[in-house]
Amino acid sequence: MAKDENTYWNPILETMPPEKLRRLQVKKFKRIFEWAYNNSPFYKKLYKDAGMEPGDIKTYDDIKKVPTTDKGMLRDVQNRPPFPYGDMLAVPLQQVTEFRQTSGTTGTPVYQADTWQDWEWWAECWAYILYAHGYRDTDRMFIPFGYNIFVAFWAAHYGAEKLGCEVVPGGVLDTEARVMKMQELKCTAFGATPTYVLGMADTARKIGIDPRSIGIQRITCAGEPGASIPTTKKRMEEAWGAKVYDHVGATEIGAWSYSCIAQKGLHVNDAFFLVEIEDVETGEIIEEPMRNGKMIITAFDRMAKPCIRFDSKDVIRWADYECECGRTFRIIDGGVVGRADDITKVKGVLLAPTAIEEVVRSFSELSDEYEVIVTKKGDIDDIMLKIEIKPDYKKQETEILNRLKDQLRVKTNLGYKIEVHPYESLPRYALKAKRFKDTRPH
Amino acid sequence: MIKDYRIDEIDIKIQEIKEAATEIERLGGDIEAVKKNLVRLRASTKMLELNISDVELGNAP
Repeated sequence: MAKDENTYWNPILETMPPEKLRRLQVKKFKRIFEWAYNNSPFYKKLYKDAGMEPGDIKTYDDIKKVPTTDKGMLRDVQNRPPFPYGDMLAVPLQQVTEFRQTSGTTGTPVYQADTWQDWEWWAECWAYILYAHGYRDTDRMFIPFGYNIFVAFWAAHYGAEKLGCEVVPGGVLDTEARVMKMQELKCTAFGATPTYVLGMADTARKIGIDPRSIGIQRITCAGEPGASIPTTKKRMEEAWGAKVYDHVGATEIGAWSYSCIAQKGLHVNDAFFLVEIEDVETGEIIEEPMRNGKMIITAFDRMAKPCIRFDSKDVIRWADYECECGRTFRIIDGGVVGRADDITKVKGVLLAPTAIEEVVRSFSELSDEYEVIVTKKGDIDDIMLKIEIKPDYKKQETEILNRLKDQLRVKTNLGYKIEVHPYESLPRYALKAKRFKDTRPH
Repeated sequence: MIKDYRIDEIDIKIQEIKEAATEIERLGGDIEAVKKNLVRLRASTKMLELNISDVELGNAP
């Protein structure tokens, strides 16, 4: 792969030697720690109670002593002034120009404040992502997203503009209208959740448009892990005849990682974020590759509502390979493989819902949709998988189900009850899908 | 091959932009159109600092 300054959004940072990157991270950590200590009552109390102050951060190991934060804390502070963000806020309210909130999937939504500088920073993070995905100022990017209180593709829009792309906001159009507009305008790229990427392809075919004929060259995914699940990524690439790239971010963190044209693992933007991986059982920080743990993350340059050593509960692992793209930014293998609070024990076996998706999407005879429901009868866990078989394969149902059961057992060490539902009868989602339902009392 | 960039020289120019913003604010900062556009100018300048000036943080011991 040819590598020169045109390969990178910022060749200086993206190819910086790892030891320099580490020094940069320690100094930037110290800077945001000091900012939060001096400007956010929440952080000042948190650090004072832990007996820490800015001068205590001198080495990388010192960072590990800094208390972590979590979503529960972010919710709690909202009960205190200033309304509606609470005393984590580190700038006067009149400097806040952007409101966003989390989707509330795991509880009360968290309100996120950003200043205009923070918003520029969001766009900057997205510029790194899109440039790595191959976007250039010759691209016309369609954004099929209902612009609203969720950050979702808002920052992608501003990041694409920063690159010089021509951005088409898909806004309140319905899916058919979005597909037709993409075709009419000869768009070269779009961004959506994997669920919606597949859903749009379905809709296109229903209205007589072959999605491969539109001319989309690249698709940027967010919001769900699918673009890092090989079988789901393959489905999307085949449906659109385009390259599919992944990125991971969060409202309360920022856009912290991205795949590159090598399409292998996700680079952490080490110049803007510090990612640590913590062993869920022991709390030890994991440095070795291919060992799962939960992510603790710091955004170095987000000022209004700092994100410092935030326990995201995302389960990730460092890769044991380097990337041929030449970036020295560290790589996480396989994207976000689950969430610490999603990875659950069923019948005594640890189960990550992404493993089920990987199996289901490897069956070309099945539709893109499925649903998993975990129940408890007495003391016994029960796991049900609902699927749809494509009409052309209905006669092979028994053989398909046998193969599916075998593959699920191999990949997840669990036996499933499988329910076949009529084609296109399971719920379809436009943003984040909720396919895994654990109904057991906790 | 990645070019060798003269980061220190670029940084000097970035600092000059910041100084110019301060001077503009001193001269016309009570004009709302000046004040609010300076917020945007400074935010963009900050992104230049994150991309260029901060590189020195990795070089220093």
